[in-house]
Amino acid sequence: MTLARHQKRGLIGAALLSLILIAIGVLAAWFGSRYQLRLVYGAYVNLLVVLGLQVFMGNARVTNLSHSAFMGIGAYAAAICVTPAATKAISLPDAPWGLAAFTLDPLTSAIIAIVITAAIAALVGLFIVRMTAIGATIASLAVLVIIHSIFLFRTDIFKGNQAFFGIPQVFSLTSIVVLSVVVVLIARGFRESHWGIQLRASADDETGAAAMGVNVVRLRLVAWVLSGIILALAGIAYAYYLGTISARPFYFNHVFLTLAMLILGGMRTVTGAVLGTFLISFGLEVVRWLETGPVVAGVDLPEALGLSGVVLGLVIVLTMTLRPQGVMGDREIEDIILRR
Amino acid sequence: MLDIRNLKVLYGPIEAVHGISLRVEEGQCVTLLGPNGAGKSSTISAICGVAKATGDITFLGQDLLGTEIEDRVRAGISVSPEGRRIFSNLSVEANLQLGAGIRTDRDGIEADIDHWFTTFPILGERRTQSAGTLSGGEQQMLAIARALMAKPKILLLDEPSLGLAPRIVGQIFDMIEQLKSEGMTILLVEQNARQALRISDYAYLLNTGTIQAEGTTATLGQNDELMAKLTGLG
Repeated sequence: MTLARHQKRGLIGAALLSLILIAIGVLAAWFGSRYQLRLVYGAYVNLLVVLGLQVFMGNARVTNLSHSAFMGIGAYAAAICVTPAATKAISLPDAPWGLAAFTLDPLTSAIIAIVITAAIAALVGLFIVRMTAIGATIASLAVLVIIHSIFLFRTDIFKGNQAFFGIPQVFSLTSIVVLSVVVVLIARGFRESHWGIQLRASADDETGAAAMGVNVVRLRLVAWVLSGIILALAGIAYAYYLGTISARPFYFNHVFLTLAMLILGGMRTVTGAVLGTFLISFGLEVVRWLETGPVVAGVDLPEALGLSGVVLGLVIVLTMTLRPQGVMGDREIEDIILRR
Repeated sequence: MLDIRNLKVLYGPIEAVHGISLRVEEGQCVTLLGPNGAGKSSTISAICGVAKATGDITFLGQDLLGTEIEDRVRAGISVSPEGRRIFSNLSVEANLQLGAGIRTDRDGIEADIDHWFTTFPILGERRTQSAGTLSGGEQQMLAIARALMAKPKILLLDEPSLGLAPRIVGQIFDMIEQLKSEGMTILLVEQNARQALRISDYAYLLNTGTIQAEGTTATLGQNDELMAKLTGLG
């Protein structure tokens, strides 16, 4: 397959982003402590989530608030498949449909998790993509609540707020760096594909795009399901590293965090998604340090619990006020580096 | 080539066009003239499938009513819509690619894009920039070029001179005249009667959803009273 000119540019951009992602991973592996490695791994998981969010939100320009729930579906589905039956016999003694009775290898489990997440995303998407932008956003919030409630109260399958433990640690920092490079290529490939351009056009002017034969509903559904698949990957990567999951991380705080990342960086570009994720991931570490009330330049700062929530909120308010298109706007990384 | 009979265009319960009939022959430039609210744009919307309509729309022997917009683009109908409707957040190049949505000959698409960049160097210079940064006249050229990217058999132009400075209007009409001389069939909607009649073969005058007058531009041009009214000198 030959690539069109703008797709070649996109490939250059994706390659540049990949180099940055690999460089950050290598630096972390060389200099990071065990604790810092976990933080960096977490940032890469969030990067996958933000990229998944960008694929739908950035191209269709419809705000989605259910993404963390789809990450949760991927994480739980993989966890249930991959956790050894012996462990599940203890942790999920009342599991229905023989869920506690089998053990699958990590790859098969991941594939099953992706298929399940994609199927649920497709089902939900059938409703979401037909709504107006505001309707879709509100409905997506409802979807988040529904899925979270199921995670919380079907304790026989998901263990709710208790830890679902015993997931073998399959992933390392290397695996998630490789995965993030692959997902950057997918997100960029979709953005520059014929479908991606048509979807962005319909976000610009739905009637105008329709007059040119663009089928908005079909394209939104494609983006929604692709977004769901990437979110499933994020959930799998999360479960395969931590070894323990619970319902709480797949709820509103995480929705808000990843939304702030995408909004700050700029939802319209993949570069914006990457930039926003790393700005906020590293910025939040500074804020968390400030929360403890450290001594800075001889001044003993007071303890400031909850500062991170305030800062995240301010990031969204200030970005929406001062630069609603985010730091990157419509520019991808290669638009800054290459001429024309 | 395009044969419309007893066309009624409906917006919910409101009928904007009350059963008009018109024809466009291959290679012709036909103009729909008339004031605001006459039903010109509604007629265009019905032909490309954006507005609901009843009656007969036959294009190259194919009945279009009830077919999808995409099928009409495939059949060879392409529109430069009223108000240009450029995708302002997309690059100039992406706008042109959108016009080629039904085509699969990637090399041909690239060659055609290059053709437009040579024809309008300003578009080439702004290739990767947002189309929203273009001036009104440049956006109109882009809208026409985008419509032509579909390799249409008929080009529908809805008010291409709207809101443009007189000098730019002249350039746009020169472009349309050039297309016509290359054999393109054109259905033009205009309020700028003088310029439109200069380049068309046949014209219909619409008012309040009905056809008030029609004829070759030569015949209409001899009707002084009508011309005075149309050109705003009466």
